Amino acid sequence: MRPLSLVCLFMLAQALNVSGETQNAASQTELIQALMTRVEQLEKRIAELEASKPTPPATPLANIQAPSVESMQMVSPAGQSEGRPNLNLAGFGDFNFGATDQPGSHSGFNEGQFILHLNSNLSPKVSFMGEVSFTARADAGIGSPAAAGFNAEVERSIVRFAHNDHLKVSFGRYHTPVNYWNTAFHHGQWLQTTVSRPEMIQFGGRFIPVHFVGALVEGATGANGLNFNYNVGVGNGRGSVISRGGDAGDNTNGRAWLVNMFVRPDKLYGLQMGGSAYRDTVTTGGRDYREWITSTHIVWNRENPEIIGEFANVRHQNLTNAAAPIANSQAYYVQAGYRLPVLNKQFKPYYRFEYIHVPRSDTMFQPMSNLAGSVAGLRYDLSSFAALKFEYRNQRRAKDQPHINGAFVQTSFTF
Amino acid sequence: MNRFKSIVILAVVLSELAGAVPAANASDVAVVVRRDLPVDNLTFSELRNILLGDRQFWSSNVRVTLLIRAPLAHERDVVIKNILQMTESQFRQYWIGKVFRAESLASPKTVYTNEIAVSLINNIPGSIAFIEAPLVHKELKVVRIDGLLPGEKGYPLN
Repeated sequence: MRPLSLVCLFMLAQALNVSGETQNAASQTELIQALMTRVEQLEKRIAELEASKPTPPATPLANIQAPSVESMQMVSPAGQSEGRPNLNLAGFGDFNFGATDQPGSHSGFNEGQFILHLNSNLSPKVSFMGEVSFTARADAGIGSPAAAGFNAEVERSIVRFAHNDHLKVSFGRYHTPVNYWNTAFHHGQWLQTTVSRPEMIQFGGRFIPVHFVGALVEGATGANGLNFNYNVGVGNGRGSVISRGGDAGDNTNGRAWLVNMFVRPDKLYGLQMGGSAYRDTVTTGGRDYREWITSTHIVWNRENPEIIGEFANVRHQNLTNAAAPIANSQAYYVQAGYRLPVLNKQFKPYYRFEYIHVPRSDTMFQPMSNLAGSVAGLRYDLSSFAALKFEYRNQRRAKDQPHINGAFVQTSFTF
Repeated sequence: MNRFKSIVILAVVLSELAGAVPAANASDVAVVVRRDLPVDNLTFSELRNILLGDRQFWSSNVRVTLLIRAPLAHERDVVIKNILQMTESQFRQYWIGKVFRAESLASPKTVYTNEIAVSLINNIPGSIAFIEAPLVHKELKVVRIDGLLPGEKGYPLN
């Protein structure tokens, strides 16, 4: 029974009790006054409720399959033009200072990357996203020798049709989904805890193909609380310069394909684990190789603690020289961070160990260096949208080579 | 005496009229959708997946539109702290990353009052909002969470 009804019945019982027995007229008057006050309160409450009623009638759901651009506009009126899709623009940036004891290196400031992120809803189920980077390089300018300047690059350009949660089809240039870091943080340095990416997935690196040009089918399903996600893709794979994707076309008639699967169990909120497989035929240096990449990751993406671990094996078979041995190169890293519960949770110390082993028999990867190194640092969140990071690195390329120490400071932000 | 009886009857009638407000704890936050959305119950995990943007469609292929109160509102605190177990900063960073990863078309829509939320629910099919239970109007559908409504013992959003 509703509380107000209880109140009224209580008052009624009180009233009958009072009227049936020995109450005098004065107490009846008090009771009437109290009831009148209560009536006034209830009238006021009803008026408030009536005022808060929505006036526009609801459109029948059966007539509409998804929110229209116009209805979204009511919530976010900015950025809409008559007869054109909306366009949302966001960005990331970072500035760095670094110093190492590596012979021949110079300490100094570095502009990092300036990233623009564009997002547009072409219809309720079709969307486009683009990511453009401007990277300061010593040789990106004009003249001979080339002056310093900025190198512009379309990092990602994806048009996606989302049928439902289980099926989304897209075409474009992606960050290859065979590595957790590559698809979790992209070019936004502010998004990642650390100053630097793991070397196995470094931009411009060769161990794992960072970019993938082609088509992806992806989706997710509940799977009894496992929350199973998948990506299946086909594309051009690596270009002749193996650190680059096949942006202008494939250099072989064999497409690269990939499968990526992971779960995020409901019962372990924050856990993600999964694995990927990638296969391609690569032509570089006048030789053909068959490439198999298998990888796995496990991530606890809450910040108390944050744990990311990844392992990848890259297998190369020389198709030009059948007598050449099959080579397997491995890389892994483990990163742990913890957002301290004090000082408004603005501080997050972290540590990462990373390892890369490339055998000499892996001729496709030569002259890639091995690596064993540690990264330790502290992230300080200046605000919800800017961070300051201090990082120390200790790395060694080979057992007979000295350790290289470095100190880095980065401020990164989103806007 | 007649006047007294009239007042009592009027009080009972008014209390019934005011009964549009469900009997709920003032701190309980109700999950509300349009009445014609074919969703009556969500598990706590399903609700969390919706708030994380991992579930973007209702079963009927209608896209989910998240409406979340602006910072400092009690409803927002309940959503971010109780369901997502995040801080305000973590929540913002999470959604910036979600959109940047192209995993979602947009972040949740911020609404500044419950009245705006009610109006938008009626205008945007598939929208879902979080409103303090005593302020929910009967025109909206209150979604059960793990089979429980606001005010019931064990209701998780408070």
